[in-house]
Amino acid sequence: MIVPFGHVLALGVLLFLTGACGAMVRRELIMVLIGVEVMLNAAVLVFVAAALHWGQVDGQIFALFIIAVAAAEVAVGLALVLAARNRTGAASRDQFSSLRG
Amino acid sequence: MMHDVWLAILPHLLLAGGAVSVYLCGAFRPGNQGLVFALSLASLVLAIAAAAVTPAMAGAVGLLDTGAFSRFYLLLLLAVCLGALLLLQRYAHLRRLSGEVLYGTLLLAALGMIGIAGASHWLVFFVSLELLSLSLYILIAIRRDQPLAYEAGIKYFVMGAVASSFLVFGLGLLYAATGTLAIAPSLAALAAKEDMVLSLPAFLLILAGLGFKISLVPFHLWTPDVYEGAPAPVTALLATGSKLAVIGALVRFFYAVPAMPQSLLAVLWLLAAATMLIGNLTALVQEKVKRMLAYSSIAHMGYMLMALLAGGRQGFTAVLFYSAVYGLMDLGAFGSLGLMSPKLRDLNDLQDFQALGYRRPWSAALLTLSLITLAGLPPTGGFFGKFLLFTAAFKAGFPWLAGIGLLSALVSIFYYQKVVVSMYLRDGRKTGRRVAVDWAGGVACSVIFVLLLWFGIMPAYLLSVVERALSLN
Repeated sequence: MIVPFGHVLALGVLLFLTGACGAMVRRELIMVLIGVEVMLNAAVLVFVAAALHWGQVDGQIFALFIIAVAAAEVAVGLALVLAARNRTGAASRDQFSSLRG
Repeated sequence: MMHDVWLAILPHLLLAGGAVSVYLCGAFRPGNQGLVFALSLASLVLAIAAAAVTPAMAGAVGLLDTGAFSRFYLLLLLAVCLGALLLLQRYAHLRRLSGEVLYGTLLLAALGMIGIAGASHWLVFFVSLELLSLSLYILIAIRRDQPLAYEAGIKYFVMGAVASSFLVFGLGLLYAATGTLAIAPSLAALAAKEDMVLSLPAFLLILAGLGFKISLVPFHLWTPDVYEGAPAPVTALLATGSKLAVIGALVRFFYAVPAMPQSLLAVLWLLAAATMLIGNLTALVQEKVKRMLAYSSIAHMGYMLMALLAGGRQGFTAVLFYSAVYGLMDLGAFGSLGLMSPKLRDLNDLQDFQALGYRRPWSAALLTLSLITLAGLPPTGGFFGKFLLFTAAFKAGFPWLAGIGLLSALVSIFYYQKVVVSMYLRDGRKTGRRVAVDWAGGVACSVIFVLLLWFGIMPAYLLSVVERALSLN
């Protein structure tokens, strides 16, 4: 690799932290979904970089599977958000607070 | 060789085929609830038969582990899913839930579970975990008439999506650190590594992802909300199947790494202690029965983690034995709750349970027995299971952990008895008429009832199955 492995890992960690902050801090459900996507893409980056580092193809296959799973996750997530919004008019986390102890 | 591969994946193929045919049935013969139920029942029963006739072989076929541990959990998980399917039938019928979506998704969840418990490669593990999670998001929110179910579904989705991205990033770091994605070698390499720069975050992220799934204490906050909002039979599946699948995987993980570094051991020790204590103490102050059962299931995961830490022959025997008992008792508790629930809203407040022992004697008897088993009182399987767990922890050099667990288990008896008392003692016989149990629910209830007592009075059979699994692995 031209770029050192450590640098790619650092970028992956940075992306992951960005996504994690987004998913935890933002209240709108759509933004939470986007944060999750960023985290998954950070994982994809790490897998691809590690596959190149170890000279194997396993990591790249894993990366493809992550992309597919991320798409499925978004499909189910958006369906849930949409159904809940049509039903209750809520699209932000704060509006879901009837379940508590 | 080719023959082995087909046998090993036959249960998976049957479940996947069942799910696809149920969905297709929904497309071409919409509204035919009996047919889709029969199809899903048939594919689960066939999958169990296929799993039962396949002998366990040490090692892996393709990316699937075919050892005795995987086979034990394969059968257990399929049995739990069958129980949940039977308990769901009447519930879904009364509330006009769409059978195609419900049963098809249940089969996919079952496929995800057995994939998790039987994966020998992280790829299969990850994809199965996602398959299970996505199916559960749908199942939780399947009641269109209940805003609470949507809320539970969305809460589980948000937390679950974050947790699985933690897990997958942790797997990425694990791969970067060790260069292999086969589960056992990668974990062994991780535990043996001196340099902790990559391996410590990898371990913590994977722990967070899995800890979320089995609701260990810092990651448990979703559990009571989701259990309360989800339909009771779905909660039964959520509490038993999805947790036991991950426990089944953890058994193999711990087995692959006999000697863990001290620092990791300390982290897991703390998690187990906190999970047992906080689970049981918070359950004490709950007003709602579903939330109480949720905290009790959290505490039970603490007991299991304790025995996993203890490890060794005794520890694994205890975990395998308790997994079977735990699956039965939580299935019985939430299943009977679902059977007794009125159409509009699941039973939840303590007042709802008043005099149920007289109106619904059979379901109430199962709930009572399940609660007694959860409390760990004789003559049920729960007593013997807890005995195994605590002695394993004590003998393996965790006397404090065993002490904390034992104390919190004693505390737990108090909150279980509240429900039983309100079912039988308070101004009985006044209200309502007796309601008969349907055949599917009745079969599931009686089998669970008999098994719970059988494993308590004569644990030798289950114990011999567990020991055989251990000696084969």
